[in-house]
Parts: sequence; C-alpha cells; structure tokens
Amino acid sequence: MKRRRGSIAWWLVFLLGVLYFFLPLVATLDFSLKAKPPFAAYTSSLQDPKFLGSLLYSLVIAGVTITASLALIVPTAYWVQLRVPRARSLVEFVTLLPFVIPAVVLVFGLIRVYSRPPLPFTHTDIGSSALLVAGYIVLSLPYMYRAVDTGLRSIDIRSLTEAAQSMGAGWLTILWRVILPNLRVALLSGAFLTLAIVLGEFTIANFLARPAFGPYLNLLSQSKAYEPAAVSLISFGLTWLAMIAIAFLGRDTRARIEIGGAH
Amino acid sequence: MGFLELSHVKKRFGAFVAVEDFELITERGEFVSLLGPSGCGKTTTLRMIAGFEYPDSGSIKVDGKEITNLPPNKRNVGMVFQAYALFPNMTVASNVGFGMRVKKQSKDAITKRVGELLEMIHMPEKADRYPYQLSGGQQQRVALARALAVEPQVLLLDEPLSALDAKIRVALRNEIRAIQRQLGITTVYVTHDQEEALSLSDRVVVMSDGRIEQIGSPSEIYNFPATSFVASFVGTLNLLAARVVDPSAGRLSVEGQEIRAAKPIADARPARSSRSPCARRASRWRRVPREPTACAAPSWTSASSARSCASGSGSATGRPSRSTRSTTRT
Repeated sequence: MKRRRGSIAWWLVFLLGVLYFFLPLVATLDFSLKAKPPFAAYTSSLQDPKFLGSLLYSLVIAGVTITASLALIVPTAYWVQLRVPRARSLVEFVTLLPFVIPAVVLVFGLIRVYSRPPLPFTHTDIGSSALLVAGYIVLSLPYMYRAVDTGLRSIDIRSLTEAAQSMGAGWLTILWRVILPNLRVALLSGAFLTLAIVLGEFTIANFLARPAFGPYLNLLSQSKAYEPAAVSLISFGLTWLAMIAIAFLGRDTRARIEIGGAH
Repeated sequence: MGFLELSHVKKRFGAFVAVEDFELITERGEFVSLLGPSGCGKTTTLRMIAGFEYPDSGSIKVDGKEITNLPPNKRNVGMVFQAYALFPNMTVASNVGFGMRVKKQSKDAITKRVGELLEMIHMPEKADRYPYQLSGGQQQRVALARALAVEPQVLLLDEPLSALDAKIRVALRNEIRAIQRQLGITTVYVTHDQEEALSLSDRVVVMSDGRIEQIGSPSEIYNFPATSFVASFVGTLNLLAARVVDPSAGRLSVEGQEIRAAKPIADARPARSSRSPCARRASRWRRVPREPTACAAPSWTSASSARSCASGSGSATGRPSRSTRSTTRT
C-alpha cells in the first residue's frame, strides 16, 4: 500500500513537471494559431527577410564563437589538467564569472573600452561583430569549460599524451589527432549549448546594435501580436534539432566508451 | 661503454627524494628490470629515460649520445604503459602506424610494417578493430607493437602486466621476452613483481627509497642478496633472532641451539649484537646440528657484511648452494 502511494506521488511530480514545461509551449502554439488564416503567423514570419537575415547572422556569430571558444578553451583545459592541476580551481572560478557579472555590465565595459581610440571597434560593423563574439565567448565560458573539462577527465589524457610523445608527436599533433577526436561528445555538447545561448541572447547584441536574432524577436514582440509566438516556437524547434544532433552524433562514441569500460 | 647509460641521476619532487644517485650501464640488447615496492623511484627512473621527467642532476646517454634534456618526442624510445594508452579513436592498425605517420613515412612502408608487427603479436585479423573491442591482453600486445613500430633504440615497459589476470600475465610476459630477444632491443622493464623480474631479465636492479639496493643477475639477486632489504623483498624468508656467541668463529645461538655462520662475523659488538636476526629461504632451511654451516649470520652492522658473508660462503662451495641462500636482517 505504502509503495503504491509512493508511486502515485512520483507520477504526480512527473505530471507537474510535464505541465510546467509544456503548458507554456502549448499556450504559445495555441496563441500563434489564432491568427487568420491559421498558419499566417508562421508564413509571414518565414517570409520576413529580417527573420532569416537575423537568424543567419546569429548562426554565423554562433559558429565563430564556438570555433574561437574551442580554440581558447581546449588547449587551456588540457594544459591545466596535464601540467598545472593546482590552477584548476582558479580557472574554474574565472569561467564562472559570467554568472556573477551581468551581461549588461559586460557590454557597457566593452563599449567603454572599445569605442574610442586606440581601439575604436564599435565604429565599424565588423569591429562590433568582433566585440559581440568576444562577449559571447565570455558568456559561453562556464558551459564550454565544463563540457571540455568533463570530456578530458573521461579519458586518460596523461597516458595518451605520453604515448603520442614517445612516438615522436609534438603538441599540435597530439591535440589535433589524439585529444580532439576523443572529445567529440564533449565538444558537441559545449558547441550546442553555446549555439543555444547565442540564438537567445538579447542584451549584448542589443547594446552593440547588431542585427541578431534576440533583438529581432524582441522588436517583433513589440510590433506584432501572433508572429513572436510563432518565431519563438520555430527557434525552440531549432534548439531541439540541435539536441537531437548531439544525441545522434554522440551515440557511437558513448557506446564505445561503455563497452571499453566493461573490459 | 654501455648502450644505455645513466650516471649520478637524481630527482626530487619538492622535499621528497624520488631517485638518489642512480647509476646503471646496460649493454645493447640487454633486458634490465627495475624492481621495488611502490614509491621506490623505479617508475620515475623509467620516466626520466623516456623524457617525461627531467633529472635534477646526472646524465642519461643512449648509444653515447646525451639525451638528458631532450623532450620525449626527440628521443627514440618506445614506451608501453600499464593502462595500455591505446588511442580510443583509432583502429588497431592506425594505433600501430601512428608513430610512422607522425614521422611522415610512406603509406606503403606503414602498411607493410604494421602488417609485420601484427603478425608478430599474432593479431593480423584484428587490424580493423577498435581498442574497446579487444581484451586487456590483446590491447597490451597492440601497445607493444605500437611502441616497436618506430624502431626505438630503447624499449621501456612500465608495469605492463599489472592490469591483467594471472594466466594472461604469464603468457604475455613470455611473449614480450621472446619478441625482445628476436629484435635484440635494449629493454628496461619496471615491475613490483619479483617473479616477473627474476624470470624475464638479464639483470635486475632492486630499488628502495630512491636508491639502488643491488644490481645483478636474477640468480645473484635471489641467492646473494646484498642488503637486508633485497633479502626481505625478494623471495620468502624465515627470520630468526640469534645471539652472537663467538664472532671470530661465527658461532651463534638461536633459542639455545648453537649454529655456525659460514664465515666470522665482522664488526660484531657483543653489547649490541647479542641478539642478531638471521634470515633463511624457507625452502632451504635445515637444522644446524645436522649441517653445521647452514646459516650465514653476519651481524647487525651493515649491508656489506651481509654480502661478504653470502658470497663468501658461495665461493666456498663453488656454486650457489643451499648454504649460500641465506642472509641476515638487521
């Protein structure tokens, strides 16, 4: 009897969780379909050149951010773990700073420093986009560092590095041919988390006046009724596609690690 | 001049002395084991030969060439690790061929050599497998082939059999020895397993607390332990507390039974050595009255007296005999 009651409670909690996550989505979907004719909000959103333009811009920025942040974090996390494990707590603290310092403070700092000589980045489009990427690298630090660090811990990087070294490999060869391929799942999850952050980010893009997806969505919600709901759902769908991609691309390696561990 | 020479090699980690004044000269093609308990400095010594650690002082030479401060990828040494360290993202063939690819050798040469090596380790049909599809013993054989692929001058093995089960351990250690003999490659083998060291090596280096306790052939190490540490670490011993009755005649008293040492007990000071422990190989123990010279029983004083005692009695019989398999413990 007791067990049955426990099981009912469990289902109740589960149901509440489902409602909490899905009710807003269902409500948004319902609202977006209220436009006449039923899918007008979706068709007009997809036909809006600003929608595709801002989405494309954000995707490009996300790609650059991911590449730059991997190039920064993978060697750092690798080096910290291999050579200076004592510095790990310091590095972790630094990567957590974006949780402490609000994005609005960060972007004001960036604008103050980089909008006047000798570093007038904000005077050009490309300069502003570079600042945007820099800001996003900072925002993605906690997620990216943790993903990479976890990935590095799951393989014996010391032995692999030494084995490669004893066969004549230099640092670049080791990173490129030995470490990176074994971090595939970690790199993918870090990359997609970064993608999700960049697609949804508003503050930094808005203050730097960039034509990104976040500000576009915000602008849309101030001027249209049903379209923002449609666009939200589209971006939500894109995020889910990214998640499925992680699961799909990472499946092979994960199975391999499990079987390898059983020996 | 030896092929691999380590002279006055020292290494500290902070206040901890890992290796103290290590001296070793090995001949080309020799199989040398570093044997000792964990923390004795054997792995650190091996890592200094590989280049993963640099000595604080002293020098390491291979074939007359100084390599003390060369980075590991500039030394031509092959290394086999306890944890196999195969690259999980590569097949068996890619793992074995990795070193050759790094050295930008031709594809044909790599395919040929990888094929030969896989034949040698009896795994040609496993070329396309991934490490996770292999057993521990198979993985370690691949690791051995991979280390040999770059034709290293020295092969280093760091407790390569410790992670394997007993049966495979014996089979694989014989295989390692056979391959080593076949290729004539100078090999340094680190282990804490005395059976492995004694059965595989041309010479064994017994280490303790960063120092060399004894260097010798397996039979020398087993039959004539130079120090009390070697005596206690290698083989199984009976330890007897003895009272020195007459140092000059080598007479001792064990629980009222009088026994005689093979030679006089040097430096014995009756005040301190009145009860001096005497150690014997268990399988070789005979009671004294029937075999009066059975137990060598030098004093508490020093390792040198133990060595002189043991070797003295050995030379008396002309070969390592029962009576020589004894030493003392202080």
